[in-house]
Amino acid sequence: MAELRRDPVVGRWVIVNTDDSLHPPDFEKEEHVFRQADVCQFCYGRERHTPPEVDVIRPSNTPANTAGWSVRVIPNKFPALRIEGELNKRGLGIFDISNGVGAHEVVIETPEHFKKFADLSEAEMLNVIKKYQSRFISLSGDRRFKYIMIFKNYGESAGASMEHAHSQIIALPMVPKYVLEELEGAQQYFNFRGRCIFCDIIYQEYQDQDRIITENTDFIAFCPFVPRFPFECWILPRKHTSQFGSLNEEEQHHLANLLREVLSRIKISLSDPSYNFYIHLAPVNQGNPGSYHWHIEIVPNLTRVAGFEWGTGFYIVRTAPHVAAKYLREAKI
Amino acid sequence: MPELRKDPVVGRWVIIATERARRPGNIVDSSENTFNGGGSHCPFCHNKEKVIYTAKNDKHPDWSVLVVPSGAPTLKPQSHSSRTGHGLYDVINGYGAHEVIIETPEHIANMADLDVEQIQQVLNTYVVRINDLKKDPNLQYALSYKNHGWGAGGRRIGHSRSQIVATPVNPLRVKEKLIGAKKYFDYHERCVYCDLINQEKEFKKRIIFETEHFIAMTPFAARFLFEIWVLPKKHDCDFSEGVVGFEEDLARILKDLLLKIKIGLNDPAYNYVIHSAPFRREHDKKLQWKTIHEDYHWHMEIMPRLTRVAGFEKGTGFYICPVPPENMAEFLREVEIYG
Repeated sequence: MAELRRDPVVGRWVIVNTDDSLHPPDFEKEEHVFRQADVCQFCYGRERHTPPEVDVIRPSNTPANTAGWSVRVIPNKFPALRIEGELNKRGLGIFDISNGVGAHEVVIETPEHFKKFADLSEAEMLNVIKKYQSRFISLSGDRRFKYIMIFKNYGESAGASMEHAHSQIIALPMVPKYVLEELEGAQQYFNFRGRCIFCDIIYQEYQDQDRIITENTDFIAFCPFVPRFPFECWILPRKHTSQFGSLNEEEQHHLANLLREVLSRIKISLSDPSYNFYIHLAPVNQGNPGSYHWHIEIVPNLTRVAGFEWGTGFYIVRTAPHVAAKYLREAKI
Repeated sequence: MPELRKDPVVGRWVIIATERARRPGNIVDSSENTFNGGGSHCPFCHNKEKVIYTAKNDKHPDWSVLVVPSGAPTLKPQSHSSRTGHGLYDVINGYGAHEVIIETPEHIANMADLDVEQIQQVLNTYVVRINDLKKDPNLQYALSYKNHGWGAGGRRIGHSRSQIVATPVNPLRVKEKLIGAKKYFDYHERCVYCDLINQEKEFKKRIIFETEHFIAMTPFAARFLFEIWVLPKKHDCDFSEGVVGFEEDLARILKDLLLKIKIGLNDPAYNYVIHSAPFRREHDKKLQWKTIHEDYHWHMEIMPRLTRVAGFEKGTGFYICPVPPENMAEFLREVEIYG
C-alpha cells in the first residue's frame, strides 16, 4: 500500500510505500574503486597542478600551495561559472539571459587519497565545517552573489568525477529554483501562522519519534515524513536560525559530530552507497529572510530517477522514512 | 564565458557552458544500459494476464500493443480516495493508476527500432487509456512516459514499453508549468509556447527538424545534454485531444529523433514524457485553470541520460548543461539515420 504525502514547505506530492518498503539488501551495491592515486591533483606534492588555494588549514611553517595542509580550498579547474566580469542581464525576445558570473570552488577534505569522508576523524570533520563557514562568509562579501551553495557528491553514480574526498561550493548571482520554493513556502507559512515551518516540523518529529535518527544539544537528524529519495536524511539546527555564518565554535563541533555520525550510519546500513548532500542556506545580499531555517539534506543514491519523476517532480519513494530511520538508528557504528 | 539562461515558462535558471566541455569524467558509459533479460524469460513477451487494453493490426493479429497493470504499481485503483491530516502533513491514500504499455509483441528493446505504424499505434493507445482514466472523477492528472535503459530508471529487460501513471493531485512540476504559462497569458494574452515556436522558427539554430504539424528543437535553457522538446504547431492544451489526426506525423518525428539519439549518441538510456493539461471537468471551470485552453500547450520532452545528476542539481534545481543547445541541435541535425 502506498500513501501520497504532501511536503508542507513546497507543496510537492510524493508517493511513499508504507507497507512493503524496500530494505537495505534490496538496493544494488556500488563498488568504490580508487584508481587515480598516482596522478591525483588533490594529493600532497601536486599542489602546483591546481589553481592556487583560496583558503586553507595548514601549519604556519608551511608555505602556501605546498604539502602539509589538512583542508584546502581551491578554485575549480573546470568552473561552471567565472569569477570575473559583470552579469550584464539582457533579454532575447521572450528569453532572459545573463553572463555566467559566479564562483566555483573545491574543498579538499583530507590529504589522504583513500580516506572516505564518512571516515574522517572528529577533528578533521570540524575543520571541513569551519572552511564551509569561512568560505560562505567570504563569498557573501561579494555583492554580485545572491546564493552560496555548499554540496558534496560522493561516488561515481552521485556525480563525483574525482575520487579523492572533496566537496564543492558554488556562488550564484541568483537564487536557485528549489531554494526559492522553500523560501516562499516558509514565508507563506510564517505569514499565516507566525511560526517557522521548520521549527514546527522538528516539533512534529519529536511528537512522532519514529523518524528521528540521532540528535545532540544543537542539531537533530531525521528521515523526513515526505522524502524524495529512500533513506533521505535531514540535519537541522534545533534552535531557529537562518544564519549559517554565525555558528559558534561549539555549534560547529556539534554539527561536525552529527554529520559524521549520520554519514557513518548510512555507510554501515547501506554498504557504503554513493550519496549527495547539500546545505540549504538563506540567500545572501538581499535582506534577511528570517522565516527560513537552514538545514542539510543528505540523499543516498540508491535508485535512479526515472521519467515520471523528471516529468512531474512527483517522486516515488519505496522505503518509508520510519523504516529507513530505524535501520539508521540501529546501525552499529 | 558561460551563460545563465532562464526558462521562459517555469523561470528556472540554468548554466550553459558555451565553451567546449573539458570537464573530465562526467559522461556515462552507455554499456551500463546493456539489456540482459529476455527471450523465454521476458515478462512482456508472455504477459497475458489482466489485460486492460489490446490493440491489433494486420502484422500482429493477436495483439500489437498491450496495456497491463504495472507489476510494481505505485498507485492502485481503490474503492475511494481519502484525504487525512497528520499533524502539519497532508496524506492521501495511494489512489491512482499505474499501467504499462507493451509497445510490440516482438522482443525489441528500443522504440527507435519499431516501425512508424507501430509507434503510431502506441500513441493511439496513450489516447485511449487517458480518455478512459479521465472518467474517474478522483483522478486529476495522467502522465505518459518512457524509461528506456538502466540509466533512465528502467529495468534491464530489452522489450520496448512505456507507462502511464494517473494521480489524484496535480504534480508540482506540472503545476509550475501551468502557472508559468498562465502568468504569461494573463500578461500578453498569448500562449508562451506559441510565442516560443515563432521565435525558434525565426532563430532557426535550435531547430532539429520540423514537419507539417510538429517542431523538434533543443530548448533555449536546456537542463540536460541533448534535451529535446517536440511541440505541436497547432495550439491545444491537451495531448489526448490535440494529437488526434496527427498521430502518424508525431510517430514519424519520434522515430527519427530516437534514431538520431541512438546512432549519434551511442545508444544511450533516455526518458520521454508527454506534458498535457490536467483533466478538466465542468465543475472546475470557475477555478484557477479557467483559461487553460488558451494558455497551455501540450508537448513532449525527450531526455537522453548522458550525464549523472549530482548534488548541485538535486539540491537546487539549478542545472549545468555542458554544451550550448544551438550546438546540440546542429549535431542532431547532421546525424544520418537512413542509409
